[in-house]
Amino acid sequence: MRISFKWLQQYVELNASIEDVAATLTRLGLEVESIELQGKGLEGFRVAEVLEVKKHPNADRLKVCSVLPAAGQEPLQIVCGAPNVAAGQKVILGVAGTTVPHNQHDPEGKPFVLNNATIRGVESKGMLCSGKELGISDDGSGIMVLDPSAVPGTLLTQHLGLDDCSLEIGITPNRPDCLSHIGIARDLAAAYGVALKMPNGTLNEDATRPVTAVTSVEVLNAADCPRYTARVITNVTVKESPEWMKQALTAAGLRPINNVVDVTNYVMLEYGQPLHAFDMDRLEGKRIVVRSAAAGEVFETLDGKKHTLSGTELMICDAARAVAIGGVMGGANSEISPSTTNVLLESAYFLPTSVRKTAKRLGISTDASYRFERGIDPNMTQHASDRAAQLLAELTGGTVAAGIIDVYPSPIQPRTLTVRVNRVNAMLGTELSADVVRRLLTSIGIAIKEEATSGTFTCSIPTFRPDIEQEIDLIEEVARLHGYDNIENKSSGEVVFTAPDLREQRVTELRRWLESNGVSEIITNSLIDRNSAALFSRDLVSVRNPLSAELEVLRPSMLATMLQTVAHNFNHSAERVHLYEIGTVFAAAGGTGFQHYVPGVGERSVLGICLSGDAHSLTWHEKQRKVDIFDIKGLVTSLLTGIGLDNSNLIYYNAPSSLTEMTIGIEINGSYVGFIGRCRPDILKRYKIDQDVFYAELDMNSVISEGRNKRYREYSRFPKVVRDVAFIVNSGVSVASIEQQIRTSGAPAVTSVTLFDVFEGKSVGEGKKSIAFSLTLNATEKTLTDAEIDAVLSSVITSVTDTFGATLRSL
Amino acid sequence: MLDHSITELRDAIGRDLPSIASPDDLERFRITYLSRSGRIAALYDTLKSVPKEEKPRYGQLINALKQETEQRFEERKQEIESRATAARDAVDITMPGRMRDKGTRHPITRTMDEMKSIFTSMGFGIVYGPEVEDDYHNFEALNFAPHHPARDMQDTFFVKDDLVLRTHTTPVQVRVMKDRPLPLRVIMPGRVYRNEAVSARSNYFFHQVDGLYVDKHVTFADLKGTLVTFAKNFYGSSIQYRFRPSYFPFTEPSLEMDITCFLCAGKGCRICKHSGWLEVLGAGMVHPNVLRNCGHDPESVSGYAFGMGVDRISLLRYGVDDIRIFFENDIRFLNQF
Repeated sequence: MRISFKWLQQYVELNASIEDVAATLTRLGLEVESIELQGKGLEGFRVAEVLEVKKHPNADRLKVCSVLPAAGQEPLQIVCGAPNVAAGQKVILGVAGTTVPHNQHDPEGKPFVLNNATIRGVESKGMLCSGKELGISDDGSGIMVLDPSAVPGTLLTQHLGLDDCSLEIGITPNRPDCLSHIGIARDLAAAYGVALKMPNGTLNEDATRPVTAVTSVEVLNAADCPRYTARVITNVTVKESPEWMKQALTAAGLRPINNVVDVTNYVMLEYGQPLHAFDMDRLEGKRIVVRSAAAGEVFETLDGKKHTLSGTELMICDAARAVAIGGVMGGANSEISPSTTNVLLESAYFLPTSVRKTAKRLGISTDASYRFERGIDPNMTQHASDRAAQLLAELTGGTVAAGIIDVYPSPIQPRTLTVRVNRVNAMLGTELSADVVRRLLTSIGIAIKEEATSGTFTCSIPTFRPDIEQEIDLIEEVARLHGYDNIENKSSGEVVFTAPDLREQRVTELRRWLESNGVSEIITNSLIDRNSAALFSRDLVSVRNPLSAELEVLRPSMLATMLQTVAHNFNHSAERVHLYEIGTVFAAAGGTGFQHYVPGVGERSVLGICLSGDAHSLTWHEKQRKVDIFDIKGLVTSLLTGIGLDNSNLIYYNAPSSLTEMTIGIEINGSYVGFIGRCRPDILKRYKIDQDVFYAELDMNSVISEGRNKRYREYSRFPKVVRDVAFIVNSGVSVASIEQQIRTSGAPAVTSVTLFDVFEGKSVGEGKKSIAFSLTLNATEKTLTDAEIDAVLSSVITSVTDTFGATLRSL
Repeated sequence: MLDHSITELRDAIGRDLPSIASPDDLERFRITYLSRSGRIAALYDTLKSVPKEEKPRYGQLINALKQETEQRFEERKQEIESRATAARDAVDITMPGRMRDKGTRHPITRTMDEMKSIFTSMGFGIVYGPEVEDDYHNFEALNFAPHHPARDMQDTFFVKDDLVLRTHTTPVQVRVMKDRPLPLRVIMPGRVYRNEAVSARSNYFFHQVDGLYVDKHVTFADLKGTLVTFAKNFYGSSIQYRFRPSYFPFTEPSLEMDITCFLCAGKGCRICKHSGWLEVLGAGMVHPNVLRNCGHDPESVSGYAFGMGVDRISLLRYGVDDIRIFFENDIRFLNQF
């Protein structure tokens, strides 16, 4: 809402600076977003009179002028290049030291400061300016010539009436009353403790012509139109509005049109009541019928657009056809034109929800619909009509027919609410007295009807405050008017204990671990295109009204959006792409791990890890290589043990996956928590990634909720013995199965088994491989003897050779 | 005679010592002069043939030579050893260490972590909720009337007629108020969505942290105190702040908190739209209708709620000028954190 500071002060006497008023408005919840001083940049320019114009002795296109800066002062000699300069003109003068806002000779039009200059040998003591140079018009062809009545010496801003400032105020949706100068003045009057002055003017009606004799109003849909009033003003002359009106409208951000339309806009900005003026002679039957639209009805609004109506719209009609969409916009068929002589003035109260639906459906938002949607005061309708009729009579020379037609079958009464003073203090943490509460509430027009001894007030809420619906709303008014700043910032004395959130701590541990191990966190969007999503799942959740087809489906897998990041980085020459993300994935049905908070949509929080490109940055001490499956497997295994999930609880198995090859499933304590694998090439191709991407996905809920109570296990205090053994087995035998065999057959003496070499080659034979383990042998109660060690080793060797058809390889 | 032998031996030692260059030379020297069968030991043997009255004087002379030799040998030995150490350490220690690749945390998570940490230390727990919400939790229970103009503020993605991508983290308030016993003191971080075109300043998804405290006797003064404590910890104790009355359907009275723009220190700049203030959060007392919708009697309990955006604050804190950079996740960006 744009407010003229000058206009505002018609209703409230403010002996305060604009800054102070702005700060007060903001404290009242009417946030001043900007203050714009009119005539900014025009400081220093004054009206002057050209006394004489002579040719420049040394330049054909220049003239030497004698200019009177102000009555009684010495004329100044000024060189001017404008073709239109002539003696007797009232012009705009800038003297040395004044900043010209726009340099017509500069390609960027940068401002410049005037100096006394000598132009082609002739002294010049200033400059006569064009409208373009001052930024007040687009005309740069010559100097700006002012009205002959302009007085030399007058400040230009004063001459142009540019001594106002505009305040841009953010009005929250609950304050429709503040979409007007009077509404804002009311709050200011309360804040400054001064009276609100309502406009006074005398409405002269032509008693010989009652309005009922010239028109009638019939409301067929009273539900959507609870009140409709009409006045008639005859013999108007449509012309430009006077300066004061044009200036007020301009300062408030509206463009003046003609005196009739300007009055309706002026009163709307004054009272907040949108008005509409019809050319009465264009109304069939010279009367108004308010009804719902017929489905399929076509209506042309005054902006020239044609709308096909659904049947729910409220239409203002004459005897034959629709002439306006109620509360939204008038029609081209009845708008005010220069030849209009008789005006029917509508002032009505339309149901907010009805206007809102219509405006939304038709995609029209007007100053009127904006106000009706939020809820205007149904009981201001006639005051606004009276005020507009008075102004119309003054500005157009028209005659106001006597009386008003007011169709208001069920008058809307002020709401009655009670407010308890102790409740006010209990909510706000204040100790306000009943007197203070009464004073604050009455200051904004709330009438205290009844005062009980128990500190309970019965209040009558004016109908311009539809937002005050219950006691808490009155408490807010008290808080707002008392001032939020005057309420204590209470730091609670009570100690509140909240148990540490173990799950949060585990997530933090997990993040730290990944980051310490060279994996960076990313945050990706959660919407992708349907075709990409289909690569990952058929169980999709999609958005009905997406921003674009690229952002239609909620990601079914973290991989779906992580790969976008991987691709982006490879496209920007990254070499090592090691990333993780914790986020939500979505499925309509969803399987294990999905939580259904709402029917039809499952959500799961997952950790995704992508490793691609180089295994590590280029260094002098390690050979460059690409990541492989063992990098991601090692990372995930170390991660799970690193955050305290014992490695022995992890079971690896070959799991099928639609996303990856070489897939390994991960279980903790027998339940599935995720998988590891290499992304399928068809998926990578879609993302235009030409490198292997290794991916791990873990269910966050499982990872962070899994118990990890630590218990001490006794370790041997006796010397350990390390022995290496190597077997030659068929290539198809898995390392894990041999390792498991060694553990089982060597227990309990064998306490650790570590793979340290795998070798395939001619020396071990075709289709064979050599696998070497380092075994640690130990006992908790004594030092093992050589004989005991040999016995264990021999049983291990026998077991492995028997089970796998392996042969022992001498080391 | 013995005098001559002592002088001669001292001269020989004086010649040999400086030429010692290696541990082998050292050993050879020790055997030649200082060992039990060495030349100094041999001098003691000749002492036997010296007249008795001369013995003390010669004894002292030989002792002195022995001590002097041992001392000079030790010095030489240390010199040789330190030279060997120096040779072993002759590497270019300006070469880089064996570095490990570092991973970084996303700046939005960093901001979120700081917020969480301040609120948890103030006794708030952390709760999460779904990103796809039903109309009831996202709007209705939060006192949004079916056609209330406040819904103009929320341009929403719909999944079904009554399912939306949540437009704020506030619906989690409804879930916890219904599910958990009082007193309730929690924050609710998470991702939210608005149907807005993507630009340098706005995105269709962003992150919020909502907060809620419901108990007996919770007041507006408590809310203000909590917010000031948070702001001073998060933005720095020297910041100026202001509270403005505002409007949210789910709180009453409502407020917005501004802090002095930390980029221009309140002088006015492009970021704060020349106002000198930055809006950092919205808050208020939980609306009685919301308490009632969640099964609580507004006459016996009260509460406050607040909510703040994480992304915009992260932009300002890290001096990022385009919100899209956050979600591009370029490694050159990530590595800066």
